[in-house]
Amino acid sequence: MMNKAGTDIQIAICGSAGDGTIASGDIMKRAAALMGYNVIAFDEYPPEIRGFGKCISRIRISSKQAYSLKEQSDVLISLNDSHAIPHAREVRDFGAVIYDDNLVSAVAEGGHMSAHINAAQVPYGFAIRQMSEQATNAARARNIVVLGYLAGLYDLPPEHFREIIKAKFAKKPQAVIDDNTKAFDAGLVAGQAVFKLDDVVVGAAGDEATGSKAVMMTGNGAVVRGFMEAEIQSYFGYPITPATSIMERLAVEMPPKGGNFLQTEDEISAIAAAIGAGYTGSRAATATSGPGLALMAEMLGLGVMAEVPVVVVVSQRGGPSTGLPTKTEQSDLNLAVFGGSGDAQRIVLAPTNVEGCYRCAGMAFDIAETYQTPVILLIDLYLSNRYETVVPSDEASFAPKPRIDVVADENAPYKRFAFTENHISPRALPGQAGLMHTITGLEHNELGRPNDAIHMDMSTKRHEKLNSAVHFPGLNVSKRFGDEGPVDVGILGWGSSFGEVLETMYEAQAEGIRCAAMKVVMLSPLPIEALKEFFADCREILVPELNYEGQFASLVSGALGKPVTRLNRATGSPMVVNEILEEVRRLSGQNQTPLSAAE
Amino acid sequence: MSAPLHHVIIGSGSAGFGAATTLRQNDDDCRITMITMDSLPFYNRYDLPQVFHGQHDWRELLDVPPAYYDDMRIALRRRSRVVDVDGTNQLVTLAHQESVAYDRLLVCAGGRGYLPENLTGFAGLMHGFGSFEAAMRLYRDLPKGGTAIIIGGDMIGIDLAMTLLDTGYKVSLIATPQTFWPHEVSDEERTQLFAAMTARGITVHKDHRPVGVSRKDAGKSRCCVTLDDGTEVAGDVVLPFCGLTSSVEFMLKAEVDIERGLLVTPELQTSNKTIWAAGDVCQIWRDQEKAYHFYHGWKNVRVMGELAARNMTGTHEVFDTDVEDRIAVDANGQISSTFWTH
Repeated sequence: MMNKAGTDIQIAICGSAGDGTIASGDIMKRAAALMGYNVIAFDEYPPEIRGFGKCISRIRISSKQAYSLKEQSDVLISLNDSHAIPHAREVRDFGAVIYDDNLVSAVAEGGHMSAHINAAQVPYGFAIRQMSEQATNAARARNIVVLGYLAGLYDLPPEHFREIIKAKFAKKPQAVIDDNTKAFDAGLVAGQAVFKLDDVVVGAAGDEATGSKAVMMTGNGAVVRGFMEAEIQSYFGYPITPATSIMERLAVEMPPKGGNFLQTEDEISAIAAAIGAGYTGSRAATATSGPGLALMAEMLGLGVMAEVPVVVVVSQRGGPSTGLPTKTEQSDLNLAVFGGSGDAQRIVLAPTNVEGCYRCAGMAFDIAETYQTPVILLIDLYLSNRYETVVPSDEASFAPKPRIDVVADENAPYKRFAFTENHISPRALPGQAGLMHTITGLEHNELGRPNDAIHMDMSTKRHEKLNSAVHFPGLNVSKRFGDEGPVDVGILGWGSSFGEVLETMYEAQAEGIRCAAMKVVMLSPLPIEALKEFFADCREILVPELNYEGQFASLVSGALGKPVTRLNRATGSPMVVNEILEEVRRLSGQNQTPLSAAE
Repeated sequence: MSAPLHHVIIGSGSAGFGAATTLRQNDDDCRITMITMDSLPFYNRYDLPQVFHGQHDWRELLDVPPAYYDDMRIALRRRSRVVDVDGTNQLVTLAHQESVAYDRLLVCAGGRGYLPENLTGFAGLMHGFGSFEAAMRLYRDLPKGGTAIIIGGDMIGIDLAMTLLDTGYKVSLIATPQTFWPHEVSDEERTQLFAAMTARGITVHKDHRPVGVSRKDAGKSRCCVTLDDGTEVAGDVVLPFCGLTSSVEFMLKAEVDIERGLLVTPELQTSNKTIWAAGDVCQIWRDQEKAYHFYHGWKNVRVMGELAARNMTGTHEVFDTDVEDRIAVDANGQISSTFWTH
């Protein structure tokens, strides 16, 4: 039986493409969610579509809410030693390493996992392949055998795994379900027979358990859910990693609800079509990655100039150029905020977790329509592909709100770009009687007719209208966490890496460092007042981010005219809590490892 | 400049661990790989009865912290079974199909529990005590105040029996020729020792040999050992403690001389000049008696490991021992062995 202690463990499953590594991780995280745990999971896979590259699925399972993956895993399962061996060092002391100790072919000296498990880690070798073959007459159920072993070793309820296996293979012949269940059960018996020597504790799900209401979804999945709840009407896209799954999902979900879905020939067509649809009043969106956004930059300028609402999801990956297609990075911030010709300010939202993806995607259309401008939803591969348990809110409603119709005035021409107090002009849709108007990429007057003499005034209008976006109802454009009042170190974070920022802040506080963290969700326009207050409270400001240049640090520092300390990481991997913590210690003056940690 | 030597040690008990440390002290550049079937880093097997005193965290049993192996640059290969040693090509083959090349090999594989032939078919009904996991399983399966039936009663078993008595359990001992192994006791001593055991509270069955073991799901006692006169000895667990037999099967192709154990010179070198042996796995030549002898007990084993390591790195020391072969009963009826006292 599971004990009452809290749980916070991370399981890493590593294998080769084709080993079922990601599928195994998928079953593990879904079973854990079914047990009521909070789950954060992230898969890494090779850039090659086919081949034998390395896949690794990391799943953090916790009783309490966690905000990021851990730097060290508690358990590593190797489905392929040549790939998993470099990750053995990621397993913490007295954690477990599970591997096959009955290989069918000889390996070179040092080619077996047992050569790489240090004395503080606990080895669990067993005949994985043989067990799969005995259970199913094939070796391909090794990924399921290890899940059974895991369930047996840590006394996890097998019925949840069986349920997920059944659901996962529901569209396959019954024999597939039966074989996988047999493979799971064989591993389960083997795991139960082993004397557990590691100190990995799997306790109850806890008071903060997500329970049965929790939904497991990725950042991209959350974007789709937000879009659908916002009643998206038109989607135009061109596939690109890591945004493709948004398009794939919408292609399935939109048509039955009457939505328009089109895969275009390239990104330029996609954004052009989306802007065209947005102009007609349709809730329109596209999704891409950095290289695609670069292609879209010119058309985005048209959206700004013509004041057309459109939503663009940008899931960043390592760049420039083709870069690191399957690795994460936060290096398209400059492109998202500034990319394009001219002064083309737009709204950029950067959610920090999966639930944030859902909320921002759901609200993006309303924001775009309110401010009559493109809204970029800036996420990255780590967030796009990261699984989290989310408890959907019953309160959220992203359905289109009724807007005040523009009434035609027989005595005056309709001014689509009229100067108003809040700089937002009355918007009519094409075809409305008496409200005929012109839009153009050329600078124009209030009527929309080309006019370059009015450029300063129109530039002012297009910029000033966005100022109130930081107060958009229901949208947390920034949020402070941690100690109130003056602190030694303030950590400023954005996007996917804010989870690591938050974990760092809690660890720093536990070490006695006065520390606060702020997430900034709206990158353009920046929530200047909130930032000023945060800066005023912090003796030192640290900005960790996943790019080489420190793009967010430059953005904030430039906007406030204040120095910040940068912590830039461009490895293709997520931020590391210990790296941030080390910097927080240094900045706080407490740069020595505390005794408790050193012992 | 020559490449650093690769010293491979098979076994991670007292001999193997002592050897690894000594090798590092004598050769800072060499590679050291220690291969063991055990799941844990080195701990003293003589401490295993401590699980009945509440020692359930294996980390507390370790002689050195795990970081020691990194510090000493000792590669520890656990849960790795050696299936073959190729003495000509100097290769150790592991069960998972990996071959490890060595320059010098030290075999400290020890021995496994011996079981009289007529009882081998009942092995599945008995508990082991050769590892931390086995000790913990025994602790888990033996109910509080329950009875352990010890077949044989070598000194490891007697040490455990004393601990069980001290911690509120009952012990029945069924004597065999291996009782008091590795000590060779006279009939008179044997009688005295059995009397001391009885006085301590052990139920001793010394006149009849065990012929069978059975297990019952129903009833008060779960296990039963049948003696050759039909007597049934009831208890909760059955533990065979009939001495050790050397683990040498994997050495059959190593081109070394083998009898019951690996035969070694007083310098602990086998007939293959690249292979040494130490501990319970080897029989050492005694020139005075013109015969090979086993030397038991943790002190001898540790000294052998360290001496073999020194000889592997160039010295030519000869094994000798001052450990007496003596078993004694103190005023409290406690039985002690010079081999087991530590």
